[in-house]
Amino acid sequence: MTQVILGQVLNGIIVGTLYGIIALGVTLTFGITGIVNFALGQFMMIGAYAAWHLTDVAHLPYPLSVALAVLIAGLAGFLSDRALFQFTRNHLVNGLLVSIGLISVIESGALLLFTATPKNMDFVLSGSWTLGAITISRMKVVTFAVLLAVIALTWLALANTWLGRATRAYAQNPEAAMLMGVKTEMLQVGVSVYSCALAGIGGALYAGIYSLEPSMGALFILKGVEAAILAGVGNLAGALVGGIILGITESIGALFLPTAFRDAYGLVFLVAILLFRPSGLFGGQK
Amino acid sequence: MFLKVEELSKRFGGLVAVSAVSLDIEEGEIVGILGPNGSGKTTLLNLLAGLLAPSSGTILWQGRDISGTKPDLIAALGIVKTFQNPQLFAELSVLEHVMIAGHLALKRLLGFARSKTIFAPKPARQELEARAERVLRLCRLSEEAHRPAAALSYGEEKMLGVAMAMMCEPKLLLLDEPASGLGQAEIVNLGAVLRDLREHGTTLCVIDHKVAFLAEFAHRLIALQNGSKIADGTAQEVLGNQSVITAYLGRQHAGA
Amino acid sequence: MSAVWLLVPLYMVPLVSHNEVLLTILIFTYILGILAIGFNIVFGYAGQLTMFHGAAFGIGGYATFLILTKLGISFWLAMLPMFVVILLLSMIVGWVCFKFRLREFYFAVVTLAFAELIRLVVLNWNDVTNGTLGLLVLDKPTIWWPGRGVVKIDGTVPWYLLTLTALGAVTIVSQLIVRSWIGRNFAAIRLNEELAQTLGINTFRYKMLAFTISNLFAALAGALFGFYSNYIEPAQLSITQSLDAIAMVLLGGMGSILGPVVGAFLLTGLPHIIEFSAELRAATYGAILILVILLMPRGVVGLFSRWRHVS
Repeated sequence: MTQVILGQVLNGIIVGTLYGIIALGVTLTFGITGIVNFALGQFMMIGAYAAWHLTDVAHLPYPLSVALAVLIAGLAGFLSDRALFQFTRNHLVNGLLVSIGLISVIESGALLLFTATPKNMDFVLSGSWTLGAITISRMKVVTFAVLLAVIALTWLALANTWLGRATRAYAQNPEAAMLMGVKTEMLQVGVSVYSCALAGIGGALYAGIYSLEPSMGALFILKGVEAAILAGVGNLAGALVGGIILGITESIGALFLPTAFRDAYGLVFLVAILLFRPSGLFGGQK
Repeated sequence: MFLKVEELSKRFGGLVAVSAVSLDIEEGEIVGILGPNGSGKTTLLNLLAGLLAPSSGTILWQGRDISGTKPDLIAALGIVKTFQNPQLFAELSVLEHVMIAGHLALKRLLGFARSKTIFAPKPARQELEARAERVLRLCRLSEEAHRPAAALSYGEEKMLGVAMAMMCEPKLLLLDEPASGLGQAEIVNLGAVLRDLREHGTTLCVIDHKVAFLAEFAHRLIALQNGSKIADGTAQEVLGNQSVITAYLGRQHAGA
Repeated sequence: MSAVWLLVPLYMVPLVSHNEVLLTILIFTYILGILAIGFNIVFGYAGQLTMFHGAAFGIGGYATFLILTKLGISFWLAMLPMFVVILLLSMIVGWVCFKFRLREFYFAVVTLAFAELIRLVVLNWNDVTNGTLGLLVLDKPTIWWPGRGVVKIDGTVPWYLLTLTALGAVTIVSQLIVRSWIGRNFAAIRLNEELAQTLGINTFRYKMLAFTISNLFAALAGALFGFYSNYIEPAQLSITQSLDAIAMVLLGGMGSILGPVVGAFLLTGLPHIIEFSAELRAATYGAILILVILLMPRGVVGLFSRWRHVS
């Protein structure tokens, strides 16, 4: 029994890392541009479909596809920032509504291009590792490692590079940062694009494990927002942990309680946390 | 017993904004609060009005402990505060502001029966408008009644804040720097309004930097520095107090 | 001027036109207009962005039908317990959102979470709700008509008159509320909540009121929708349903009582003018939402007049 639970926990951790990378995007966007971009899930979907198409249809090596997918997601992010989000800076409600409109547009686009039929990528990395009675596919472990690395690098960059410190300074005190010469508009565009790129790499790796549907975007943004709120919106370090906690909650919940309500367990947990610790488990900013 | 504050403190993380302040305010008094910037005056008023919850200490209002009570309940109990930087309802006209402020008055006038006014809004509305007009006249805002509040001058916006507070028929009115940013004529008008309030029996607690203005009609002055009370007494006593002079004016002794 | 008078001429339409398509579009316009007016009250007037109305819409349909079938009572009587259910749900969800001083973004998320939870329950409670398959509704509301006794409301023209009347009633109620001290308080909360509190307004109570009203209207619309289209399904509870209503309100304009109805008309009528595949329709809704936010924040009605929120 313990093996089963452990297996579920591990699965939860891996899915949670995917939630975490979206949560990181959500938190970064909120801290720097003052809005929550509900369309981040769509950029994850863009990354996923791009990776699939480049690998299975254009027959490029998978790592190259991933890199290109991230670029594509980032470019899409740049376009939407210039066309839309630059007009909704710090206006939460408008940003929310515009991003919701964007979801419909992008998801419809994906439906038209790829149809609703799930797409499965041919195995990139087959085989699995076993630890006692637990089996984990290699691809899942690699995904986990890569996402962890990306998130860790992001933290390090935020802590140690000039750009990173400027970002954190701006999140704490926009006026002071401006006075110190931080080019705020560029910073905002940069963070906006980076969040989409993060979502893109999540999607590209997701494509190697799970099957793709245009509706995946909506699912993941909800989870990403949940994870960000769980940790505390604005808390960059907490985003990953929030994602993992959410992933584990869902997996364990689905183990002992009806699987159909899998998504609900995370939601209930979230509402409970919000009631008792409104600033999230780890406390957020703003 | 009117207002009794005991050992009131407010901490924001590591910063102590208000430190163990105790004071009493008697009914009908006019109390002035002075102190340099950052001495905790506005925080103190925010605590009294319920906009902030105290970290420790108690606030007793007419015998009742109101520490940590929500601002709307405190307003209903009779304590109303104005804002240092005028707070407005963007888009709405001056009259609409005062009408909204008439909510408490409407409640007291009609109680539950005010639900009937949904179907017959006219009589109650007229009553409220009559009160609104009187308040606006007092505050010299009658001409601006239908202008959008955003189009008012800074001084007029502040007077609108006072007008709204007056509509709430407060027993204790907390004024946060009502005179700052006002021109000479406006200050004279403000003085007239405050005197009218005093005649009406409203107790006033006023923060201001214009010490002369405060000393002119306050019964008592309280001086704060770094969140603590350093003096409490008549204008003469407080203004002659050495620590007050040092805190406010530096080392030089100067006239008020 | 009472906005209701604008609706009176619409009673003449069936006399003038026998175009089934036009009448059907108008019926859906009136039904969804009720939903949109409700959302306008909580968002346009009171300033609270909530995502629960879609769930209320769906529950309106499901609850009314289930109560009707299980208890064997009429459509109208079945709506009463349904309203009680909506009232209780609004109080629970509203209490969670507003009591805990959650900031604006969090209401949207928490109400969305609750709405999703309800949708999942409905989707999986197969014994009662028939899950994804939905429920076939063959019952119809009945009304007593002088000279003919009890008549079933069946067919386009009777439904047209019913839904128009329902819209009229909702419009009258909305206007009474918005023009009263309640509407003034909603505006105060929307524009400067802290100031409103210092003036003695119990913002929690009024936010709850606005939220509850919005859900009650949504539920009424949902009941009418289900019984008109003969079908009740989980999709009527989805986030998409909430988003459609939001799009209608934004498109029509938040500053007036009937603006949302204009938005409902435009979004209901559009697919009939241009033949769209389902995907393109969704994309167009999204594009419209974006365009309205960025270019026409006052909506279509706002382009023509400067109506204000508080009378």
